[in-house]
Amino acid sequence: MSRTIIPFGPQHPVLPEPIQLKLVMEDEKVIEALPAIGYVHRGLEKLAELKDFQQSVYIVERVCGICSFMHSMAYVRGIEDLMGIQIPERAEYIRVIFAEIGRLQSHMLWLGLFADAFGFESLFMETWKYREKILDLLEMTTGNRVIISANKVGGVSKDFTDEHIKIILSTVTELEKELNLVKNTFLNNYTVKQRTVGVGILTKKEAQDLCVVGPVARASGIDYDLRNTGYSAYKNLDFKTIVRTDGDSYARTVVRIEEMFQSFDLIRQAISKLPTGDILTPFKGFPKGEAVSRIEQPRGEAIYYIKGNGTKNLQRLKIRTPTFANIPALLKMLPGSNLQDVPVLVLTIDPCISCTER
Amino acid sequence: MKLEEFIVVDKENILNEVSKMKMEDYRLVAITCDKEGDAFEMIYHFDKNYEMKNVKITVDLKDTLKSISHIYSPAFLIENEYQDLFGFVYEGLIIDYKGKLYLTENGPKTPMLDKKGN
Repeated sequence: MSRTIIPFGPQHPVLPEPIQLKLVMEDEKVIEALPAIGYVHRGLEKLAELKDFQQSVYIVERVCGICSFMHSMAYVRGIEDLMGIQIPERAEYIRVIFAEIGRLQSHMLWLGLFADAFGFESLFMETWKYREKILDLLEMTTGNRVIISANKVGGVSKDFTDEHIKIILSTVTELEKELNLVKNTFLNNYTVKQRTVGVGILTKKEAQDLCVVGPVARASGIDYDLRNTGYSAYKNLDFKTIVRTDGDSYARTVVRIEEMFQSFDLIRQAISKLPTGDILTPFKGFPKGEAVSRIEQPRGEAIYYIKGNGTKNLQRLKIRTPTFANIPALLKMLPGSNLQDVPVLVLTIDPCISCTER
Repeated sequence: MKLEEFIVVDKENILNEVSKMKMEDYRLVAITCDKEGDAFEMIYHFDKNYEMKNVKITVDLKDTLKSISHIYSPAFLIENEYQDLFGFVYEGLIIDYKGKLYLTENGPKTPMLDKKGN
């Protein structure tokens, strides 16, 4: 049978960001997929070398709009390690609360986009309606809805008032009920299951060989979540990795939905243990030496390599984002699938291209 | 985590060392490239059960580097990135974008080497 190459993207209704996949097709079946990226490469690692290391907090926040807070969290943790800065306990808890709120809005964004990918528009709108409430929480506590600029080297710049905490807790309770409603549709609706169950299977062995991270890895049976290492205030919170073994699009949906319920729980735990006190430790000097900082972002492990030379400018900042690690998995899932499943499979790794290219 | 311990190997032995990591079930996390004096350091970061190992080699820009993509296939992306941004040449890359992963024909050349930025 003759083969055809179909360019999927960079502009495609299902893609929130630009990536092109060159799909080698035989009739309706994908034989091979090759990625073409480079549409949003901004050279942020180079820019970070040219700016003061404290200004770079704001640069790394812009690596990605969706997991902006966690990028800055990974960065400041690396700098604090290098400089031996012990941040206040309250700041650690505030970071965890913001990180879990960030995970909620990211997973909720993904759920909506995923529904859109299989053509369930009302489910998409319903999901994003709930997501607005999470963004409202960020706006209430920081003044911004996406890039919240709450992290600083030495702690955080935004504190919670009692009123904030009351509203966060009531919103979490409300969202938990609402997520249960959409969860039922995502996991039990016949049409949705037809598009997800058994589609895009990635076995545990394949996931290991491809060095996959985050919910994609956990849905393939890999018990790996960096929050288990107890960084920041996670060491004081009860946490159990959510793992599924089927490795298909359905399993990846289950993992992300359950992680949202887990985030509700972690926010409640963190608030119940939130200590009083300062939120920022003053410090002097410049970073010197090499450090690696890793955190569990919504899409998986992000790693920051930071090298300071004792001046205000970093010698090197290297960022490996989770989508960068998961693109090879997508290339593995696509061959053998039908053309109509490509949008679903692309979405199933929750791609963030601005992260990937930096 | 401060990075203080490295497994330093000769650039000729990188494939052996990486194969060893693969056989011990380490996951390739990232590869970092950094200019150190006139040379460059490549650090291969691996993870197993949340513990990292970091393998370091020192290379020169004019060296042809050995791709590890036939051992760890996901490495093809980062190795292509370094072809674009630093101007390295890799042999044995399983998918070679020939310096056009991020950059276009008329785009800046080896932007990470530019002192002032482009």
